[in-house]
Amino acid sequence: MTGDKGIKTDKLVIGYDRDLIRDICLEVKPGRVMTLIGPNGCGKSTLLKTITGQLKKRGGVVFVDGSDREGMNRLELARSVSMVTTERVNPELMSCREVVAMGRYPYTGRLGILSEKDRAVTEEAMASTGTLDIAERLFTNISDGQRQRVMLARAVCQEPEILVLDEPTSYLDIRYRVDILTQIKSLAREKGIAVIMSLHELETAMRISDTVVAMNGEGVQRLGTPEEVFEEGFIRRLYGIEGKDISLVGDAPWFKTSIHEKLPVPSGKAGGKTKVIMVQGTMSGVGKSMIAAALCRIFTQDGYRVAPFKSQNMALNSCVTREGLEMGRAQVMQAECCGIEPRVCMNPILLKPTGENGSQVIINGIPRGDMNAREYFSRKKELVPVIKKAYEELCETVDIVVVEGAGSPAELNLKEDDIVNMGLARILDAPVILAGDIDRGGVFAQLIGTVELLEEEERRRIGGLIVNKLRGDRSLFDRGVRILEEKTGIKVLGTLPYIKLDLDDEDSQSGRFEVHERKELDLAVIHLPHISNFTDFSVFDQLEEVSVNYTESVKDLEGSDMIILPGTKNTIADLRWLKEKGLAEEIIRLAGMGKPVFGICGGYQMLGRSVSDPEKVEDGGSEEGLGLLEAETVLTGEKVRSLYEGRVENSGGLFKCLEGRRVRGYEIHMGQTEISPGVKPFTSGGSGCHSENVYGTYVHGFFDLKEIAEGVLEAVAALSGRSLDLSGLIDQDAYKESRYDLLADTVRKYLDMDSIYRIMGIER
Amino acid sequence: MKHKRAIAAFGLMITALVILCMADLMLGTVSVPVKELMDILGGRITEGMNHSIIMGIRLPRMLGAVITGGALALSGYLLQTFFANPVVGPFVLGISSGAKLAVALSMIFILSRGLQTGSAMLITAAFAGAMTVMGFVLLVSLKVKSRSALVVCGIMAGYICSAVTDLVVTFADDANIVNLHNWSLGSLSGLDMPDVTTMAVIVLLCSVLIFFMSKPIGAYRLGENYAANMGVNVTALRVILILVSSMLAACVTAFVGPVSFVGIAIPHLTKSAFKTTSPRVMIPACFLLGACVTVLCDGIARTVFAPTEVSISSVTAVLLVPVVIRMLISRKARS
Repeated sequence: MTGDKGIKTDKLVIGYDRDLIRDICLEVKPGRVMTLIGPNGCGKSTLLKTITGQLKKRGGVVFVDGSDREGMNRLELARSVSMVTTERVNPELMSCREVVAMGRYPYTGRLGILSEKDRAVTEEAMASTGTLDIAERLFTNISDGQRQRVMLARAVCQEPEILVLDEPTSYLDIRYRVDILTQIKSLAREKGIAVIMSLHELETAMRISDTVVAMNGEGVQRLGTPEEVFEEGFIRRLYGIEGKDISLVGDAPWFKTSIHEKLPVPSGKAGGKTKVIMVQGTMSGVGKSMIAAALCRIFTQDGYRVAPFKSQNMALNSCVTREGLEMGRAQVMQAECCGIEPRVCMNPILLKPTGENGSQVIINGIPRGDMNAREYFSRKKELVPVIKKAYEELCETVDIVVVEGAGSPAELNLKEDDIVNMGLARILDAPVILAGDIDRGGVFAQLIGTVELLEEEERRRIGGLIVNKLRGDRSLFDRGVRILEEKTGIKVLGTLPYIKLDLDDEDSQSGRFEVHERKELDLAVIHLPHISNFTDFSVFDQLEEVSVNYTESVKDLEGSDMIILPGTKNTIADLRWLKEKGLAEEIIRLAGMGKPVFGICGGYQMLGRSVSDPEKVEDGGSEEGLGLLEAETVLTGEKVRSLYEGRVENSGGLFKCLEGRRVRGYEIHMGQTEISPGVKPFTSGGSGCHSENVYGTYVHGFFDLKEIAEGVLEAVAALSGRSLDLSGLIDQDAYKESRYDLLADTVRKYLDMDSIYRIMGIER
Repeated sequence: MKHKRAIAAFGLMITALVILCMADLMLGTVSVPVKELMDILGGRITEGMNHSIIMGIRLPRMLGAVITGGALALSGYLLQTFFANPVVGPFVLGISSGAKLAVALSMIFILSRGLQTGSAMLITAAFAGAMTVMGFVLLVSLKVKSRSALVVCGIMAGYICSAVTDLVVTFADDANIVNLHNWSLGSLSGLDMPDVTTMAVIVLLCSVLIFFMSKPIGAYRLGENYAANMGVNVTALRVILILVSSMLAACVTAFVGPVSFVGIAIPHLTKSAFKTTSPRVMIPACFLLGACVTVLCDGIARTVFAPTEVSISSVTAVLLVPVVIRMLISRKARS
């Protein structure tokens, strides 16, 4: 096996007095640089120490140049592997040259007298590390940076084939860091040394490495090229900085991933510069988000790389990205229409109403505190650079950006410093499509009035009008179209029918709370005053036989088949409300009779014994829970925001069939829930628990996978001896995809797409 | 430059040792002139009082001092290097306490029974005691990786021995206590040629062996991890260092009792004289300087208050402690 140069580990097990990490398989070829990254204490040094033999391995094999290092003799090994550790050495009265010359140890004779060649190698090693000028100085009297370089020179002087470096750049200022890294790189390239080292500076690791090994306390998480490893979401998770502002430590230590990684890149269809189109509405709820989503899907279907954008969202219902950052749901849905991963630059500002007059301000996915409306308006201007930067970031990777406005562009009192409608259109130099809602009536006043109220320059931006939500016979409105075009001088691009697609966007929530007819199987979702993240139950809309009813009334519960406590923005307040309404008592009673009760996130917290808020994250205080689950929740300031991937560990009685099934979703909550010992876990990772027919989990989107929704519905139906036709049920993701296509097809059919392309400046 | 300094320093030390040895032989209650001394040493005078004084008393004593000083200094140097600790001396691993305990036991339980009083018995006991403690430390060193833990072990072993010694002394009669006390002060008087020969053989063997270990000892200065990475068999080196340094100290202690401070101070003096810690230089240099200083101290011990002889440890302490303190201070100031 002598041809196998470099270092290799096979199923290596490392650790001090217990196995820390098992089955480590790495390989560094001559001339290559491998870097270990990971949080403090993750085992980087332990791994390096095991490779150099400082620490006994606990299993597996380390191969040095193809042979098991166990079987090699010391000097042979010393001629192959040299190292620089973080250990501080304090050799008394040794000059730097003497320290470096120590590297010749495995080559000199009995008494260690240096030959001419040894001296020459020593000088060369010192010259290449820039330590010749301190050669005669005592090692104990030089600076830390110089020491580090001398130790590297020593390691080089050992003429190794493999160089092991534990944080070689610690203590160094930028100049020495540059020097030493350049040196390491050239040692690898020119002398063909295999380098394996640990680094804390991720940026450096990104640039210098051929291979990166990302590890945490549990093991090697990723091994690959820097491009494969330095992906924002992964790095954030690795170091536990999901959703944290890292601007203080400088540029983000990850590659700006193209948001279009998943798609093949069509070449030059849009001709270089990114094109943009903006959808504005005459008022809230005219269906801007839907139209923007439809455009996203249509452009994507036509082969462009597309992304949605909305400068500022005002919504309670937010979503979390893979990086753990928060953004509006509508843009997440639109990104899904584009077939790309949602990123916060699609929605740089998110306002979440916290009360009558205030909002939590979230910038680039990170909460920046609460502000009242006046405060916010006075600081709006400061946000322009934030918006521009996000938009530019988006433009780098796409051909078309579909921008969505907010509310009406003709709010005359708010027009100054506008950053969401015409103001934004001006900043981005975007043509605008204005949509009106015929269903609510007054569509002529809406469209003509809005156009009239705009400035001349703004009016010129409007490339077309859309009449949305037309019910019934379309031909009846042909005359209306002519009138609109005559009065405004702007082309009507189309009349869209009333589309009911049950897709996730904040504007579509209003209809949710209407009382629906009870179907074969009825799920009662308690309509908490601060209810959030409604989309958890969207999957059930797929089925004709299942109804989801939001209720505040005690009498509705008895007749339902399952009671669901949804997520909330304010657990303790809603818990009190639940008790005042008498709902709490009723839920406890029904649960005692065997009715399935399911809590998600805030609802899960309520099902426990108590919820306390010592840090005043919400309103402070403590409240006794429903006591249906043996768990206690303490709200803390640290917000958990992460994607969830796991499985159902244990689901006991009613939902026994779910055991082992996959769960995908996300967690977003303040606070931790302590499950009492002995209580059955539910979803993996300690994210939920259950007892008999009561279940709770932190995972939003729990029901979204087909196998989960199916299992739950079957079990609930079986309780009363029924069986449902679940053949139409598919994963919520797949379902949404089919809905997006349906949306796009409908809009394409009724909208003059050629004109829209022309408005954007794309000739087809 | 370094070479020149080393050659000059070696030259100076050898000259000093020759002069000190000569002076040591000449001076005393009876002064012997140079010429007569030369004749006696050269074998041209083979009888008379001065001949017996020189050959029977002063020469063995002088040679004993050379060997004692050299061995203790060397032992101190090895342990200071091993523990990377400047205040460590040959007795830190409990060697002298072990020897003292064994001596006390043999004096009280064997000699007091009216058995033949003999120095051979005491020497054997002291050596055995020292070796027992060393064996214990050696076993610990194979188990424990941390060197500071090893020092603590040595010191603890020393305390235990001292405690047992004190216990034994409680039940001893006065004469034995006085004897034990005298032994523990250390003295070079009473050495004869056969004693010196035995000492010389052991000490020389150890010194030569350790000189050939100077390469790994040199590497050891960068710490065990780097040494191991460079190809040093660290475990073997540990054993050899403990074994040899203990043998050196035990051998001397057995014959002359514990002589303090030479082992701690001489390595420091040598380092500052030679401005290096390279073992190839340090090993012979420590031996030479240790010999010089011990011959000088012994000379002072037996002549200054003549005819009363003071304990050699008192002289070494008075002479060397200020040196050690001064060096530690200046060393701190430098770094």
